[in-house]
Amino acid sequence: MKKIFILFVSFLTVSSCNILEPDPLTSLDANEALVDGASANAILLGAYSRMQNIYYYGLEYVLNNDLIADNAVYQGFFDNQLEIDQRAVPFTNLFVTQAWPNIYRVISIANLLISEAPGIEDPLFSNRDRVIGEAHAIRALAYFDLLRLYGEFYDPSSRFGLPLFLEPIENNDFNLIPNLPRSTVAETYNQILSDLNEGISRLEGFNDRGRVNFWAALSLRARISLYQENYTQAFQDADRVISEGPFSLLDNVFDIYEATEPTAESIFEVEYNDQDQSSFNTYIIRRDEYNVDTDLLEAFEEGDDRAELFSFSRNANRSSKYPDNTNANNAKVFRLAELYFIRSEAAVFRDNNPNAGTEDLNMIRSRAGLGDLGNFASINDYIDALLQERRVELNYEGHRFYDLVRFDKIDEVLGMPDFRKVFPIPRDELQVSDGILEQNPGYEGI
Amino acid sequence: MMKNLLGAILLVFMFSNLSIAQTQTVTGTVISAEDNMPLPGVNVRVQGSTTGAITDLDGQYSIQAAPDQTLIFSFVGFNTQEALVGNRTRVDITMELDAKTLSEVVVVGYGTTNRRDLTGSVGSVRGEDIARLPMASIDNALQGRAAGVFVQSPSGTPGAGITMQIRGNTSLSASSEPLYVIDGIPIISEDLSGLFSGGQATNSLADINPADIESIEILKDASAAAIYGSRGANGVVLITTKRGKAGEAKIDINGFYGVQNVTNKIDMHNSSEFLRLMDDAAFQDNRDLGTNYGENYVTNIWGFDPDDPSLQNTRWYDEIFKEAPIQSYDISVSGGNDKTQYYSSLAYFNQEGVQIGTGFERISARLNLDTRVNDWLKVGTNMSLNRTIQDRTINDNSLYGVVINTLAGDPLMPVREEDGAYADPFDYFGWWMLDNPVLIAENYYRFTRTNRALATVYADIQLAKGLSFRSTMSIDYTDLEDESYTPIISRESINGNFNGQGTYGNTQDFTWLAENYLTYTTSFGDGKHNVNAVLGNSYQASNRNFASIVAQGFPSDQFTKLAVAAQVTAGSTSGTNWGLTSYFFRGNYSYADKFLFTFTGRADGSSRFGDNFRFGFFPSGSVAYRLSEEGFMQDQSLISDLKVRASYGVTGNQDGIGNFASRGLFGVGAYRQTPSLVPTQLSNSNLTWESTVQSNVGIDFGFLGDRITLTADYFVKTTEDLLLNRLIPGVSGFKFVTENIGRVENRGLELALGGTILTGPLNWTSSFNISWIRNKVLELEVDDQILSDSHILSTGHPIGTFFLIDHEGVDPQTGNMNWVDLNGDGAINSADRRIVGNAQPDYFGGWDNRLNYKGFDLNLFFQFTVGNDIFNHSRASYENLGWSRIGPGFPLPDGNNHTLADRRWREPGDITDIPRASLNNLNWREYSSRWLEDGSFLRLKLLTLGYNFPQTIVSNIGIRSLRVFVQGQNLFTITNYTGLDPEVSQNARDPRLAGSDFGTMPQLRSYSLGFNIGL
Repeated sequence: MKKIFILFVSFLTVSSCNILEPDPLTSLDANEALVDGASANAILLGAYSRMQNIYYYGLEYVLNNDLIADNAVYQGFFDNQLEIDQRAVPFTNLFVTQAWPNIYRVISIANLLISEAPGIEDPLFSNRDRVIGEAHAIRALAYFDLLRLYGEFYDPSSRFGLPLFLEPIENNDFNLIPNLPRSTVAETYNQILSDLNEGISRLEGFNDRGRVNFWAALSLRARISLYQENYTQAFQDADRVISEGPFSLLDNVFDIYEATEPTAESIFEVEYNDQDQSSFNTYIIRRDEYNVDTDLLEAFEEGDDRAELFSFSRNANRSSKYPDNTNANNAKVFRLAELYFIRSEAAVFRDNNPNAGTEDLNMIRSRAGLGDLGNFASINDYIDALLQERRVELNYEGHRFYDLVRFDKIDEVLGMPDFRKVFPIPRDELQVSDGILEQNPGYEGI
Repeated sequence: MMKNLLGAILLVFMFSNLSIAQTQTVTGTVISAEDNMPLPGVNVRVQGSTTGAITDLDGQYSIQAAPDQTLIFSFVGFNTQEALVGNRTRVDITMELDAKTLSEVVVVGYGTTNRRDLTGSVGSVRGEDIARLPMASIDNALQGRAAGVFVQSPSGTPGAGITMQIRGNTSLSASSEPLYVIDGIPIISEDLSGLFSGGQATNSLADINPADIESIEILKDASAAAIYGSRGANGVVLITTKRGKAGEAKIDINGFYGVQNVTNKIDMHNSSEFLRLMDDAAFQDNRDLGTNYGENYVTNIWGFDPDDPSLQNTRWYDEIFKEAPIQSYDISVSGGNDKTQYYSSLAYFNQEGVQIGTGFERISARLNLDTRVNDWLKVGTNMSLNRTIQDRTINDNSLYGVVINTLAGDPLMPVREEDGAYADPFDYFGWWMLDNPVLIAENYYRFTRTNRALATVYADIQLAKGLSFRSTMSIDYTDLEDESYTPIISRESINGNFNGQGTYGNTQDFTWLAENYLTYTTSFGDGKHNVNAVLGNSYQASNRNFASIVAQGFPSDQFTKLAVAAQVTAGSTSGTNWGLTSYFFRGNYSYADKFLFTFTGRADGSSRFGDNFRFGFFPSGSVAYRLSEEGFMQDQSLISDLKVRASYGVTGNQDGIGNFASRGLFGVGAYRQTPSLVPTQLSNSNLTWESTVQSNVGIDFGFLGDRITLTADYFVKTTEDLLLNRLIPGVSGFKFVTENIGRVENRGLELALGGTILTGPLNWTSSFNISWIRNKVLELEVDDQILSDSHILSTGHPIGTFFLIDHEGVDPQTGNMNWVDLNGDGAINSADRRIVGNAQPDYFGGWDNRLNYKGFDLNLFFQFTVGNDIFNHSRASYENLGWSRIGPGFPLPDGNNHTLADRRWREPGDITDIPRASLNNLNWREYSSRWLEDGSFLRLKLLTLGYNFPQTIVSNIGIRSLRVFVQGQNLFTITNYTGLDPEVSQNARDPRLAGSDFGTMPQLRSYSLGFNIGL
């Protein structure tokens, strides 16, 4: 009996011991993630999930641009935004530190699809070409966004571009991450344009406004070309989006912002809903980190409808561009109004004629209830008007600081030294690269 | 049965050997004089022969001996006895305890031993010392009780999480907490609540009723802890609950009732002082910055006169803190016969928080049962069922915390307006206050209800003499429910326009444990050689599931359940699991009570680690030499015991990392309500155990017949392969991977001195412990990792090092802070931070005194910590000195200032440490050393005065015993710390971020009255 008892006890305890190989219940092993067309499409959507990140299109990439410029002021709590508002961004700044890996995460997803999707054996993978094209266009967008933040995008001869990482990490093993130096700005633009052209060639007919569609890719090329001062290309692409794309300006400017779904004016929006929220409303309405700069309020002309896109509460002016309290308003990456501005600017500089783009500016002005602009005596007058029109239209959408950098006005308008046209490379990245990755000039000692 | 057969074979064997004398079979029972219980394992020898036997579980033996022979009975911790056989066939023996060793039985992993025989370092705390303190959990009660054990209660929130470090921070990952083992079950001790409550962890140890505890042992060195292998690096706390003893049923009824207050409130300016400071700020700015503010600039804009005697004057701390009751009642029944013993108890504990809206309640029941089935089998069970309800508000480091919103509360703002509605801070003059803290305290709900069952069933099987087999199956089951409600009237809801928000969460953790082990005890060579060995295996696996729902849009604040909410905004379920397979061994050998050796080893396989390094082996060895047994020590009476010990070994740590930390993972996301796959983690197949190599030398002294004892230990603990997030290049899309990143060292000296100072009618015993521990990071893969706004990890510095913008005092000419612009860029910001201090104390300890006089007993318990820095983050708010976030020309400071601000600079030439007032922020940096303070303190933790009614009186009323007592907790604290309380850490369980005080709930002072009745 004793023997039986002991055997029984031993059996009970020893038989139940395959306990060292539990399966994660809410995750997949990385090596088994991309296996067929369905998973390729899910991973592609994952790139958008990562674009929704708070440091990217979920909030900070967009609004910190207005904060460092003269559209928003910090009155809040977090040092992160304080440092940006003070226009002396240190390389330890949280946004600087977090935007880098988070935008590269989007790139890493694109890398995986671009390199692996062509070889997937799945007869049901019918949209393979589009998936690959979209991945290329997403990679172009992400690299361009990184370049604007960290690289000397305004200087084609600069060597301070980005580290270009274009492959998936082998076996997902961190030990195999390469330690890359920065490519030049020209090389970075070349890579971005090559991806973008690849994308454009594969996306024709794809019009989904919540995705980097054909028109979004064209709009991106228009914007990049403008930054590169390739005005012919910029004009051509902007013109094609405006004239051939299925987009139209909304009559009522408020409708753009009330909507929680893309509108007729939207070319590409990163979408949110109440289950999958952005942080715009939280930070603009409930918090104080992005209060409106009174300088922006004073910039509006009498009778401008857009001057009504503000509210006043808790002792501060607040933007009303993200009114939905469940944070369901989308991030507007490309909307038609910007394409009018691009076409206008491209026309003026292509033709070296300050009045070649006035009609496009007036399109946007008249929608806001303003009269037409008169003749510009000089290109400089035109630039002042363009910056003004872009500011009153595109504030709180992440354009202002880049515009001031492009026209070399951060000293004049913001009182900032030249080297602060770009943000510093994060301290953490310099630390792990052992000197391979170079800091932006001017920031070395800081 | 088999046992008889075995006995018969042995008998035959013995007969065949011993045919010298006319022997006869002598049998008998050996019992202990202490409790009249049978003593198993007693060594019985025939003097001058090799014949020997060991008593079985019933204390019975059988031996062959001749009438003229003498039997020698020996057992560790008891006086050896001799008995002439004579013509008896039955010799029963009662063994007396060896007074010299005081027979302190010490529970070690998988067995017990005698303190006298310990070769490792083990601290003990008696259950009765901590059973009925005005604290919710046992870990809290251990504060100051044992050398080398640093306990912090980071928040005065009832039932809040506690941090305990045994011999320093060995780990950088989230866990430097010890392993807790209750009656053999390594329990889940982390915070399982998913509720956001702002840094106040719940405490799963608060699920245990302290009155059930017989003893607590703290395994400190590698020799003691290695039996728990991979989980022993942070030390092990073994908790043993009470068991029944044979004899008449004993009923004990205990209770106490008390009132609690906060230990301290911040002394704030009144309204008139607040207004004057604001005008001073404008005045000072005019002088220093050349601004052109008018006279009485701020009060004129605000429309107040500082001299108006009818000014509203709200004392915010008084509004959120109140006197609150605490009560505890427990009843236990224990007893049994020589076959079956039982202990059962029922307890109720209820602590209302001193902060409105907090509280903790526990009901617990226990049954411990042991029964002897037959002569070779004993089975038993421990079962406890507990329900706790923790009521919290949001607190500590969060926007809508109660204390945090009180910090700089505007005294001009009433709690309620004349119409009875809560006053809205946005109608008043404090930027800091986001919502009325009384509204938050009274209307936010944060309930965590936990049902927890701990159950063990065991069988002890006597396989042969000296050889037994124990098998246990245990379950640790927690079902935890979180409920919260953010009211419609709150600012949070109004600003977000969501009309009330409710959440519901559920966490279920089911952990099972199966263990089997053999224990062999033998003795030979006239009892000079004693061997004890344990060999066994253990399987533990855990499965945890979570669910949560968030909903908003409530019809009114009277409804808080989600059923009435208009919109469910989030809902999810998930789960995770882990497993551990282990094999362990321990061998003890002692020679003549003089030389003692222990070897321990454990092999653990963990599901958390990479394939390559899944199994770890953790060995340790120790020796002790008792000099007092040597001949040359026998002729003196000063030193009664002297033992030197040394141990060396390796223990491990696997906590604080994700259950799947070694794997590359894709998680599930969503885009436009379509599921997406996103990479969430890179793989690291080389991930392995964090291991701690510890060497320890110790000495145990007993003086004057052990009237005074001294234990000293010196240790060096080096943790290799630290588990932590390691920075990696961001081009990978990730910032971190979990990696073995470096080494950290703790070295320390611990002293414990105990003794009887007075004997006689007035008896005074005292015990004192003190520990010096130095913690240092030795090596990091990536050095100088900035961990947060205020902390850094840097080689050569301890864990918990502050990294802040520094200053060089106040300029006597301008009254401005002399900030250190480290990079010389003209801007003072996060790039100017440097190392300015750390949260590690230089030394800490406790001093316990017990005095008895006739029926009276008095207990005084002091606790101290010296040399740690505290980042008093709260001061950034209530020492704003007027710094205003001037909106459209409207000065809006954070709010009021504490009275220490009276020390501020006023006139050129003033020498002070507090700068001038200013509406500007040039003297205000949130993360700066301006708020760094010395956190040293000495505190009278506990004072108890009791009276035992004399036996004559109690027997007249028909009871066994009666004691009444009064008890005071935290009666006084000596400290220079200016915050609410020096016992703080807002990041309760992350040692890397230790020592920050930001709106943390203070500790409590309580007075209670209680009774102990024995029936």
